[in-house]
Amino acid sequence: MSRALDRAGTWVGWAFFADLASALALTFGYMFSRPVTMQYPDKEKWVPYSRYRGHHFLTRDEAGEIKCVACELCARICPCDCIEVVPYEDENGKRHPAKFEIDTARCLFCGLCEDACPADAIALGQQYEFSSFSSRDLVIGRDDLLAKPGKAATGGSVVAAQLNTEKNVLVETKEPRGYDWWRNIRRT
Amino acid sequence: MLHWLSPGSQRATAGATGIASGATPLYRGRSLTRSRSWSTAEARISSRVQPFPQVARKMELIVALGLIVLKVALLIAILLLLPLPLTWLERKIAGHMQQRMGPMRVGWHGLLQPVADGIKLLTKEDHIPAEADRFLFKLAPILALAPPFVVFVAIPFGESISVLGNEITLYVSNMNVALLFIFAVIGIEVYGVIFGGWAANSKYAVLGSLRTCAQMISYEIPMGFAVIGVVMLAQSMSLIDIVRAQADVWNVVYQPIGFFVFFVAGLAEAQRIPFDLAEAEGDLGAGFHTEYSGIRFAFFMVSEYVIMVLVSVLVVILFFGGWNGILLPLPPLLWFALKVAFFVYVFMWFRFTFPRYRYDQLMAIGWKVLLPLALANIIITGILLS
Ligand code: SF4
Ligand code: SF4
Repeated sequence: MSRALDRAGTWVGWAFFADLASALALTFGYMFSRPVTMQYPDKEKWVPYSRYRGHHFLTRDEAGEIKCVACELCARICPCDCIEVVPYEDENGKRHPAKFEIDTARCLFCGLCEDACPADAIALGQQYEFSSFSSRDLVIGRDDLLAKPGKAATGGSVVAAQLNTEKNVLVETKEPRGYDWWRNIRRT
Repeated sequence: MLHWLSPGSQRATAGATGIASGATPLYRGRSLTRSRSWSTAEARISSRVQPFPQVARKMELIVALGLIVLKVALLIAILLLLPLPLTWLERKIAGHMQQRMGPMRVGWHGLLQPVADGIKLLTKEDHIPAEADRFLFKLAPILALAPPFVVFVAIPFGESISVLGNEITLYVSNMNVALLFIFAVIGIEVYGVIFGGWAANSKYAVLGSLRTCAQMISYEIPMGFAVIGVVMLAQSMSLIDIVRAQADVWNVVYQPIGFFVFFVAGLAEAQRIPFDLAEAEGDLGAGFHTEYSGIRFAFFMVSEYVIMVLVSVLVVILFFGGWNGILLPLPPLLWFALKVAFFVYVFMWFRFTFPRYRYDQLMAIGWKVLLPLALANIIITGILLS
């Protein structure tokens, strides 16, 4: 009985385009939902999660001394052979890198250098805007690496930002934390 | 004289001059319009300017002709500019239905994007494939573009408005066979599409135009039959009379089947999804205009949008009471524009909701569903009228 009713219902629905009508209702509903577009270079910017593997950075200890002990383990383990470390000994007999260069053009951001480092000196941070017109500019030296931003504290949000074309095309933001992008995604 | 502009009947004659005589009331009721014949207008002119009746008549003629030229120019300008906001709207609607934003970067919310696109199309290389039939290849975009514009000559946008004390009718010509004229002229547009695909000498393009051929033949028939019900109700083929006949109740109430058939056939006629097999970008590249670039491609695009507007206008005139409003006392022209805008929106809404029909399904719908429905509609209308 119910199956017969079902079938009759399907036929009535078919005759009056129930499926097409529900499709139209769905798209109409979506038309007034919030777009999920992240207006990246113009207005907004994505703050990556803390586990994100972006641009490398070198860290300092509490005394302000560079943590790296120039053991060259990172250079060894790097599958792309893109780290070059030249050590020196300071007056206290501690080893430090005189030269520490990463060729980010060749790097595949695998994070192995971060894993291998015994001194927690090198890590992959949150910066992802470092494209360049020349591959030579992508070889980053020690002092630049020290100045790079570290890992994101809280990620996964979108902050208001503006394109800055003066400083090598960067999207700058002042807000530390914006809205949660996932909130906008409509789940039906 | 201007008689060649207006097909025989008395009723149409006054409309064709472009100036209605101010003395007679214009609205509601066909009997009133009969009195507005050419001879009364002449009498009025000669009584006003006594000494030189000949000169006065010539002056009036020149003014009437000038008015027609002005109207046509205005119409062409509007129709040529219309695709600009429509492409923007279409992309915006597409974007928001897919939870995107659409164009945002050129102008406020991407409002100037169509202008940028237009400049791009104008400055692009106009490429003709080496193996193409050059003459047909150049002719096709024009053949596709011109007929939709010509059709608008027969379309009324309202009764009349008064400018500086003169009543100016809102149509170029009130033909008593307007519907036939429209169907005849719009049929030519298909040649543009067919020639375009044929002349390009490309497989995709030929397949696209083959499909168009079959599609147009299958859908113009039910479209024509769907209109017959409306003609039976209004007892006239003049679009103005059809709209006047709907002053109280819109035709869609009496002719729901007719409206359905006309609308579906109109979708196919405008080659919009779900019937856009001619340019099915998924399986045919871009169908008949695969090989076109630059301004010729733009011609096809403009033609497509004008036809979309045209089908919306026809639906409004034939089934939704033209400029007759309900509930709100808005100006008739605004009512008309609002209704047309609604149907244009429906076209876009469909486009981003439905998938494309398969080719055999398209044929089956045309011949096995729409045509019998349209025929049944005529019979039912006939029975109910008698
Ligand atoms: S992330 Fe991988 S590829 Fe890049 S420098 Fe470190 S080890 Fe080498
Ligand atoms: S960054 Fe770490 S692994 Fe690389 S040289 Fe310095 S201490 Fe060694």
